[in-house]
Amino acid sequence: MKTSDRSVDFGFEKVPWAQKAERVRAVFSSVAGKYDLMNDLMSFGAHRLWKHFTLSLTGLKAGQHALDVAGGTGDLAVGLARQVGKTGHVVLSDINPDMLSTGRDRLIDAGFAGSVACVLADAERLPWADDSFDCVTIGFGLRNVTDKAAALASMHRVLKPGGQLLVLEFSTPVAPGLKPIYDAYSFGVLPRLGEWVAKDAASYRYLAESIRMHPNQETLLAMLNEAGFGQTRYHNLTGGIVAVHRGYKI
Amino acid sequence: MPATPVWLAAVESLLNRGIDQSLRARAVASRLNGTSMELRIGGLAPIRIAAFAERLSLATGMGGADRVGSAGGGAGAGADPGAVLSGSPLALLDLLARRGSGSAPRGSERVHISGDAEIAARYRELLELARPDWEEELSRLIGDLPARRVSVAAQAALWWARGFVRSTQANIAEYLQEESRALVSRPEVQEFLGQVDVLRETADRVEARIARLERRLDGRRELEGPA
Repeated sequence: MKTSDRSVDFGFEKVPWAQKAERVRAVFSSVAGKYDLMNDLMSFGAHRLWKHFTLSLTGLKAGQHALDVAGGTGDLAVGLARQVGKTGHVVLSDINPDMLSTGRDRLIDAGFAGSVACVLADAERLPWADDSFDCVTIGFGLRNVTDKAAALASMHRVLKPGGQLLVLEFSTPVAPGLKPIYDAYSFGVLPRLGEWVAKDAASYRYLAESIRMHPNQETLLAMLNEAGFGQTRYHNLTGGIVAVHRGYKI
Repeated sequence: MPATPVWLAAVESLLNRGIDQSLRARAVASRLNGTSMELRIGGLAPIRIAAFAERLSLATGMGGADRVGSAGGGAGAGADPGAVLSGSPLALLDLLARRGSGSAPRGSERVHISGDAEIAARYRELLELARPDWEEELSRLIGDLPARRVSVAAQAALWWARGFVRSTQANIAEYLQEESRALVSRPEVQEFLGQVDVLRETADRVEARIARLERRLDGRRELEGPA
């Protein structure tokens, strides 16, 4: 099937393949200014713990190279920059110029102007040579990518042999009794919170819908295996609301 | 494949940090590249430890070492681990705690090793070399001085706990041997066994004497001839 004939999920909606990237761009351009505030409000601050846990898994050492794909406002990139130190190098990449601009400002304010590069890049076609990075992270970004398999293959390509991919993403709750509460919160509270704080209910409705359409833990694990990653595993956080998937280029 | 517990990821990070800090550990990890070992701790899900690229990967269930190269212990997709260590949590902790002492596990706390014993021995060596410095790890979280105080308090608590266990064991043993007489003491057992030995030797001597008398009696009958 030609790409022009294919459709893809945009939340609960089906949109033409070529349109998803533009619509995702519009969502994140709309929320870029209030993104960090909304993350704190929506997750009651838990997103900081999820990111802290993800960073604890990188195994990065001083002097190594790391890439944060779909890094948005740079939470993970700041942590990566601390791990690789001044002798290392971190790249923050995002497809959305508004998010990347917000992230770049934050990195400069945090004192990482020299060691972190900001690059506008599409996760499906990362513009780096093969075997360039010791660790690649993607935090709450994969579900917004149109072609997830292509993005995983691209991230596998730029990893050095022995390098690790960490995918932090919303997933499927597994804790007993959590799902109905989580659904009520996602579809009842989140869009209203988005309307009050970010003045954009539709974007936060998309957020809740896109989480439901995202592959569950086992499916994403299989996708990592198909992309060529080895030693693949995942860790459920907060009862499976979020999961960290990891795989190595072996 | 079930989710890997978060605590196991934390242990893996600590071990890999330990490997990074030791040239010897890196060399051992390098030699183990492509192999895996499984820990079967009583009451817990099996933990698969795989080595690759001078790192360790810890996962629960049987799928954790999938897609590792098939060198060494054969940790390839669906392959059995190179070695399996099984035992109670106490026995495995005891094994790890006896740094190269070579002494046998105490009492009934046995660790069973199956598969390639050399792989098991190398993994044990690697785990010893990569064992984290808990005080150093704690100091990263709460600072040097509080970490030192916590460490001293923990050592004192451990010393007290060991003393408590020892004295409790001695008191229980004494009660069972001296008060309730449900068990006998070691000297009594040794005396009893000694008496059994004396009895057995006496019985052997009596048996030999009877045999000799029988032979003598048979010889006399042959001399006298048929009646």
